[in-house]
Amino acid sequence: MPDIPQTECREAIALRAAGKAFALDDGGSVVALDGIDISIREGEFVAILGPSGCGKSTVLRLVAGLETATSGTVHIEGRAPAELAAHHRLGVAFQDHALLPWLSVSDNVALPFRVARKPVARDTIARLIALVGLSGFENARPSQLSGGMRQRASIARALALDPDVLLLDEPFGALDAVTRRHMNIELQRIWSARTLTTVLVTHSVEEALFLADRIIVMTGRPGRVLRDVAVPFARPRTPEALRTAQFHAMVDDLTRALEPQG
Amino acid sequence: MAGLTSLPTRLRRLKRSCAQRAPALIGIGLFCLAWQLIGSYRLAGLTWPPLSVVIGYLVDPDHHRLLTRAASTTLRAVALGYLIGAGIGLFLALAVRLFRPARAGIDTFVALIHVTPAIALAPVFMILMHRDAIPVAICALAVTYLIYVAATSGLDGAKRHHIDLFAVMGARPWQRFWLLERPTALPAIASGLKLAIPVAFMGTIVGEWFGAARGLGLLMVSGMQNFQIPMLWAAVLLTTLTSLVLYALMGLVERAVERRFA
Repeated sequence: MPDIPQTECREAIALRAAGKAFALDDGGSVVALDGIDISIREGEFVAILGPSGCGKSTVLRLVAGLETATSGTVHIEGRAPAELAAHHRLGVAFQDHALLPWLSVSDNVALPFRVARKPVARDTIARLIALVGLSGFENARPSQLSGGMRQRASIARALALDPDVLLLDEPFGALDAVTRRHMNIELQRIWSARTLTTVLVTHSVEEALFLADRIIVMTGRPGRVLRDVAVPFARPRTPEALRTAQFHAMVDDLTRALEPQG
Repeated sequence: MAGLTSLPTRLRRLKRSCAQRAPALIGIGLFCLAWQLIGSYRLAGLTWPPLSVVIGYLVDPDHHRLLTRAASTTLRAVALGYLIGAGIGLFLALAVRLFRPARAGIDTFVALIHVTPAIALAPVFMILMHRDAIPVAICALAVTYLIYVAATSGLDGAKRHHIDLFAVMGARPWQRFWLLERPTALPAIASGLKLAIPVAFMGTIVGEWFGAARGLGLLMVSGMQNFQIPMLWAAVLLTTLTSLVLYALMGLVERAVERRFA
């Protein structure tokens, strides 16, 4: 592939007028997403923010190739998302860690290597486990870990094959506020170590502002894009950035945007 | 660290485990006592011998040759039928998993065989095969059904989020089968193998009633026809105890598999 100097201008993920309707048992259908236009540049970290039930997870499932759009198109690097998955270039951390309970932490992180039929890079796995702060727990089973540790293991697994695109579906949704804050700082540290196109789905305004380059705010029923906000804070962001007046102003602004109209 | 456990702790544990088992032990004791009393006082007639007479028959060295020969014949038939049945059950479950269109047909076929009473099939077997093969055949038939049901439901048991994970990792169907569905199914298969033990004994004993040359089932029939009441009951007790011991051993296997894979 020829080296393109302005890599930021290349589009990694594109949703064009994407819509998704689910068929109901009674023969009717419910529109989950309607006319979604999202363009994400290569290397960009985009947060999709919205109240629960607004279809933000459906957007992620479209991008992951787990659902197909009923109207419009979804492309990653100009191709169908399933193609990226088939080439093992997609990393996903789910809402509920989805670790295999019979495998140790390091075997769970090594799973993408086995699926891609690549030699398991033990040093890569050790490095990723260290990156998410689980050194010493390589041989622990998921049931022996706390919720936060499981989420970190699943993030390490999502990063295992150095994917082109990383999708995070509220990976910290089930965690308490303190653990969540801690995980955000860890994630920030992971991103300072490597750059990759990332989509984070969250309902936490602070999390989105702390981590993302850009925030897409969605509204529900049917899911639509409400706002597209650039995050101005310089990187690396420290926990102190969370205490500035500008941060608070943006939190207030976005929180208002999330509230139901009327 | 069992070696480091202090004596008082071990005594406490022993006491606790005795306390937990007390109701079961009392129940077994009452059962044996009732058996003995009903037999001694002839409350159920001459065909109900006291437990001590049955145990006396079992431990009498004069009967050891007869009993061991019968028991080893039956056990061999149980083992053979169990292995054949488990093998066919697993094979069919794998076959319908790998070739889904066959699922509905094989489900119906296996259910049909299951609802047909073994007693009704026995005469058909008698004209089809050697009489020594009938116990094995009926045993295998009953075990096949149980293992097929356990394995198919186990293979269907993979969780949604794990299936999604394998999709986004770009796993091929056989990888999903080997790395996800097979380990997911193991606890259910282990349960099936445990439940199949008494079923295997039942099938074999019933099969032996149809003209087997030797075996515990034959001892029961000939004891009944020749009014050798203690021998009849001794054969029943021996069958029950053997089945119970093997059932308990498979229970240990089941628990080990459960701990490893669930």
